[in-house]
Amino acid sequence: MSAIAIAPSFAFHPKRPLGHFVAIVATLLALAAAFHAAEWDFAALTDPALRAWAAERMAAWLVAFGSPDLSWSFIVHAWDLTLQTLSAAVLGTVLAVMLAWPLAMGASRKVCVGEERPALRWPGWRHFPLRSPAAALCAICRLIQDVLRAVPDFVWAIILVAMIGLGPLTGALALALNITGILAKVYSELWDSVDDARFAQVRSQGGGRIATFLYGIRPLASRNVLSFTLMRAECAIRNAAVIGAVGGGGLGSEIWYQIRFGAWDKVSTLILFTLLLTLTADLASNLIRRQLRGDPNRAAAAPAAVSGEVAARVRPPCRPWFAALFVVGVLGWSIWFMGWGNQAGQDGVPRNHLAPATALLTGEAWSNLRFFERLLSPELDLAAIGVGDAASVAARQANGTAVALFAEHGPLSVWRVEAWQAWQAELRKWFVWRAIESAAVPLAIAVVGTVLGVAGAILLTYPHSATFQRHAQRFSGESPSRWVVALRGLQLAAARATAMVSRGVPEVMWAFLFIAFFGPGLVAGTIAIALHTLGVLTRVFGESVDNLALRRFEPVCGASRSLVFGVVAVPLVWREWMTYSFFQFESNVRAAVVLGLIGVGGLGFQFSFNFEWFRFERAGTYLIVIIALTVLIDRTSRAMKLSSTSR
Amino acid sequence: MSLLKSAARRGFLMSFAVLAATASFILATPHAQAQPRPAKLIITAIPDDGDADRMRENFGALARHLGDAVGIPVEYMHVENYAASVTALATGRAHIAWLGAVTTAQARMMMGEQLVVLGCRDIDKGFVSYFIANPATGLTQVDSLAELAGSAEGKGWSFTFGSKSSTSGHMMPRKFFQDETGAGPESVFRTVAYSGSHDVVMQMVADGTHQVGALNYASWDKASDELKARAPIIYTTPPFTNYALTARADLGPDLLAALKAALLGIDDGTEEGKRILGYLKAGQFIDADIAEWMGYVELLESGIDIGG
Repeated sequence: MSAIAIAPSFAFHPKRPLGHFVAIVATLLALAAAFHAAEWDFAALTDPALRAWAAERMAAWLVAFGSPDLSWSFIVHAWDLTLQTLSAAVLGTVLAVMLAWPLAMGASRKVCVGEERPALRWPGWRHFPLRSPAAALCAICRLIQDVLRAVPDFVWAIILVAMIGLGPLTGALALALNITGILAKVYSELWDSVDDARFAQVRSQGGGRIATFLYGIRPLASRNVLSFTLMRAECAIRNAAVIGAVGGGGLGSEIWYQIRFGAWDKVSTLILFTLLLTLTADLASNLIRRQLRGDPNRAAAAPAAVSGEVAARVRPPCRPWFAALFVVGVLGWSIWFMGWGNQAGQDGVPRNHLAPATALLTGEAWSNLRFFERLLSPELDLAAIGVGDAASVAARQANGTAVALFAEHGPLSVWRVEAWQAWQAELRKWFVWRAIESAAVPLAIAVVGTVLGVAGAILLTYPHSATFQRHAQRFSGESPSRWVVALRGLQLAAARATAMVSRGVPEVMWAFLFIAFFGPGLVAGTIAIALHTLGVLTRVFGESVDNLALRRFEPVCGASRSLVFGVVAVPLVWREWMTYSFFQFESNVRAAVVLGLIGVGGLGFQFSFNFEWFRFERAGTYLIVIIALTVLIDRTSRAMKLSSTSR
Repeated sequence: MSLLKSAARRGFLMSFAVLAATASFILATPHAQAQPRPAKLIITAIPDDGDADRMRENFGALARHLGDAVGIPVEYMHVENYAASVTALATGRAHIAWLGAVTTAQARMMMGEQLVVLGCRDIDKGFVSYFIANPATGLTQVDSLAELAGSAEGKGWSFTFGSKSSTSGHMMPRKFFQDETGAGPESVFRTVAYSGSHDVVMQMVADGTHQVGALNYASWDKASDELKARAPIIYTTPPFTNYALTARADLGPDLLAALKAALLGIDDGTEEGKRILGYLKAGQFIDADIAEWMGYVELLESGIDIGG
C-alpha cells in the first residue's frame, strides 16, 4: 500500500497550468541573456557589402552544388569513405548500447534506488546522495555518464591513442564513449519517467529491483528506448567525423577538409553520399521500428477480419527475429570491414584494425593514462582570490592582478550599474571566472539556435506530416480532387526533402559552410545549429503527429485539416515536442562547445587550445566548466520531469 | 540479517573478488621493456598539409625508404590533429614522428631524454613564415608588422593562423607580431581564427574568408601561380629553426644510428628520394641535435602569451 497510497497525497496538484507561462518567460529571459552576454556581430547580415559578398559565395556554392564532381575515381573514393564511416558508426553505436544499459540502470533512480522509506520528514532528503549505498551508486553513475557526454569526442580519441595506438578502431571507440554518455542519460531518464503505479504489481508480488526493472520498467519504456536508440544511431552515423581525427578516414573529416579548401564540387559529391547514408539509415531504422511495433492506424484501417482468418494469422511472432537478424547482419559486416575489409591509408595492404583492442588487456595501456594525469589537477588560480601561500598572494596583489572585489564599490551599491561593471572587471582577473564566462558563447548559440530551430520545425511539421497531407480524407471527410492530392504530395515531398537535407548534414558541416559564407563568428554558428535542429526536430515532431491514432481526431470530424492540426494534433503532442526540444537544446549546447573548436570561439575554443598545447592544468579547468554545464542542464531536465509523457 | 544472506550474493561477492584480483594482476604486470628491435615501426607526422592523401603518399615513401634501410617494416599512420601525433610519440604508440619546432619542444617537455632528433632538412635551420593578404585589402608590401597593424586598425579585417600548435603557422608569426607591435593580433583584427593547416590558410585568404593570414614559406612556394596571385606575400619574418624528424630513445642506439644513416642518405638519385625531397622542398636531410630546439622549450616554459 505504501508507495501507491502515499504518492498522490505528496504530489503537487497545480490549480492552473502556470508551467507554460513560466516556460515562455524563461525562454524570453534566456534569449535576452543570450543577446546580452555574448558579442553578436551582425555585420555579415546588415552591412550591404558583406551581404553581397555572402550572397555571391552562396551562389557560387549553389552552382557548384548543382554540378558535383562525378569523376569515377572520386566516386570510388567517396564510396570507400562512406563504408568506413558506416562500419565505425555501427560498431561505436552497438558498443555504446551495450555499455549504456548497465550505466543507465545505475543512473536511474527507480531502477537503482527503488522503493525508499523516508528516514526523515524533510522532503529534501531524497536529494541527498549519501543517504544509502544505492543512492551513492546512482549519483556516481550519473556523474560518469555526464563526463562521458561532456568531454568532446576528439579528446577521447587522443586519450585512446595513448592506450591503443592510431587507427580507425580508436575513432570508433571514442565515438562509442561519447554515445554511451548520451544514451545512458536518455535511457535512465526514460526509465525514471515511468509512473510508479504502472509497475507496482511487480513489486507487490515480491519482485526485487532487478525483477522490477526487467518485468516492470523496461517493457513499459521499451518503445521510447527503441526510438531514441535508432535516432542516436543515425546521428552517430552522420557525426562520425572523429573517426578520421586519429587515422581512420571517413566522410566527416573529408568534407571538413574539402570545405575549408573551397572545393565545392567535391563537397557536393560528399554531401550527396552523406545524404545517401542518412537516407539508408533512415529507411533501415524505419524497417526495424516497423518490425518491432505495429502502426496504430494501419491496424485500425484494416478491414475487420473474419474469425477464421484471425486463427490463421496467429502464429509465432517472427518479426522481432527479422529485426534482430538484420542488426546482427549489419554488425557482422561492420566488424569484418573494420578488421579485414578496410584498406584505407595502407597503400592497399589489408591489415587487422581490430588487433589494437587487445592492447586494452595490457597494463601498459592503462599506465599510459598517467600521461593525462595533469587534467585532474585543474588550475584554480587561487592566489588571485587571496587563497594559498602568502608570498604568491602578495605578489599578485602587488602587480594588481588579484581580485579586489569591493575596492571601488561596496556590496551596498548593488543598484548601480557601474558597480556591477567594476565587479565584473575585478572578477575577470581570476582565471576561473574567465573560464566560467567563456561558457556564455556556447550557451548563447544554443539558446538562439534552438529557439529558431524549434519555431521552424513547428512550421514545417504540418507539410511534413503524412497524416495531414496524405491520409486527411480518413478523418476530415473530404474527397479531394486528383490535383489537390498531387499538390499535397508535392508539398510533403518538399518538406521531407528539406528536413532530410538539413538534418543529414551535421552541425559542424553546416557551420563550416556558413563560416565560409558569413565569416567566423556567432552568427554562422547559430544559423548552423538552428538549421540542423530544424531538420532533427521536424522529423521527431512529424513522427509524433503521425503516430497519433486517427480515432483521436474523431471528436472534430468534419473540421478542416489545418484546424484539426492546430486544435487537436498539436495540443496532444505538445508536451512530447517540448521534451524533444529540451533534449535537442542539451545536445545543441554540446554541439556549440564543439563549434568553438572551429573558430566560433568561447569555451570549446579555449579548452581545445589549452589541450592541444598540453597545458592540461588549464584545460582541466575549462573541462570542469564544460562538465558542470552538462550536469546543470541534465539535473534541470530531470527536475522538470520532462520525459514523463504518457505513452 | 546475515551478511551472506543468499547463495546468489555469495556468488556475486566471489566473482567480484576474482575480477578484482585479475584486474590487479593485469595492472601490476611490469611495463613491457623496450624491445631491442621491434617487429614494426610506426611513423606519424603533424598534419601541416591539409591533403591527407598527399601526406600518406609522400610519408609512405619515407616510411618505405627507412624500412628498407633498417630491415624492419615501417608504417606511416596519418592523424588529423597535432596533439594526437605528440601523444602517440610520447606514449610509445608511434616510434618516429615528423614534428614542428613547437611540437618537438612539447614532446621534449613531456619525454625528457626519451626524445632524440634523427635529423632535419637543410632548410629547417633558417625557416621563415610569410604574412599574406587578399588583394582586395589593397595591401602590398609592408616593412614591418607595426605598419601592418597600423593599416589594419579599424578596418574590421579577419586574420587567420594555421594550426594552433604550428610553429611557422602560429607561434613564430604571433611572436614576431607581438614583439614588433607590442600587442596581440586579437587587439588589431576583428577575429583571429585557426584554420588548421598552411594550405588552408592560403586558400582562405585567397577566397577572402579571411583578409590576412600567416603560413610557412614552403607551403606558399608549393601552391599554384594562380593561387599565389590571389594571396600575395606582404611580409617575410626573420629566420628561425623548425621541423625535425624525432624518435624515441628506447629504440636503442643501434637502430637509431641505422635510421639516422638512412635519413641522411636520402638523395634525389632514387625515385623515392626525389619524391620525398621534392615534397618536403628540401635539398637533403642534415644532422641535428635536440639542443637546437631547446630555445623553444625555454620559450614555452616561460609562459609566452599564445593567445589562449
